[in-house]
Amino acid sequence: MTCSNPIDFETLLAWWLDELQPAAQEALEEHVFACAHCARRLEEFAAIAGGVRDAVRAGALGVVVTAPFVDALKQAGLRVREYQLVPGSSVNCTIHADDDAVVGRMRAPLGGVRRLDALKQLEVGGVPGPEVRAEDVPFDPASGEVVFVPSAAWLKKMPTHTLRVRLVAVEAAGEAAVGEYIFAHTAL
Amino acid sequence: MPPDSSLAALEDGALARRVATAGKIPDSAAETELYRRLAPRVRLFGLRHLRESHAAADLVQQVLLMTLERLRAGEVREPERIASFVLGACRMTVLEWRRGTRRREALLEIWGGAEEAFEAPEPLVLDAERLAACLQSLSERERSVVVLTFFSDSPAEQVGADLGLTAGNARVVRHRALGRLRACMDLSA
Repeated sequence: MTCSNPIDFETLLAWWLDELQPAAQEALEEHVFACAHCARRLEEFAAIAGGVRDAVRAGALGVVVTAPFVDALKQAGLRVREYQLVPGSSVNCTIHADDDAVVGRMRAPLGGVRRLDALKQLEVGGVPGPEVRAEDVPFDPASGEVVFVPSAAWLKKMPTHTLRVRLVAVEAAGEAAVGEYIFAHTAL
Repeated sequence: MPPDSSLAALEDGALARRVATAGKIPDSAAETELYRRLAPRVRLFGLRHLRESHAAADLVQQVLLMTLERLRAGEVREPERIASFVLGACRMTVLEWRRGTRRREALLEIWGGAEEAFEAPEPLVLDAERLAACLQSLSERERSVVVLTFFSDSPAEQVGADLGLTAGNARVVRHRALGRLRACMDLSA
């Protein structure tokens, strides 16, 4: 099963995501229908897309997202529990057995910030763990918030704990504090 | 049923020609092989245009059973160009479903008879735990772009706009992330 003129992955992906112009889309479909090799490669994207959706639904991932994505989770029928924090605040939070996702929405002054790092410290049983840095966290400066979805599967297994998150703007001259947030999680 | 090795060597068009020239007794081995080959392509078309796995499965059944019926009846003018015929049928069917001019259920009643029990190959499914681990091994930005892209099959323009990036930047991050993800998953077809 080979192809003398295989379509590159970027083009296959562009077709899958509806990014091609109509003429290019039709030409690609003609090729894929006649070519088992390229159809097989295209199956990878279908499998990745399905796998990502399943992983999100299963709460298997911790990921920084956006407000529209949270809306998409709700529209997909997931049960979402949200907590909103301003800089310097803390919130009592939890996850129920029937929750699919917990969302932490951290308001932050992000205007002019080019790179944002998140430093996370977990404290269990009064014992603080090491501070872990997540580099180059994605954000939309215009939204004024960083939206984080921890792995629901992981969170459901965790005992009562406290998560401290420090957001810092990383500039050539050094780092500047953007905000600090405390999630006081109670295990049910 | 494993594919017949003598049939497996035939091109799609030659296989379609065998189905078309079988006469009164259908060449069930050739029909099974043709269905097995074309089902994944129709399913991908259905997933891409309908974005729903049940609808894609319905499309496979309807289009391929209709195609076999037409081949048997000698109603496909160029069996050698069977891929084009099937693609045209897919486009027409999806268009009809979208317009609502012909309901899916009604068409399945015509072409989805239980006596026509062809089996489509199982679609590729990735190991869930391994995929989650591979996704978690990406950088924060890469993981976000991959999740935002594939959860709703969103184009780079949309993902970029949501993350305050240009579409070009979103494509670059996506390309790099998928390269790392595919390597982590040993996807190399």
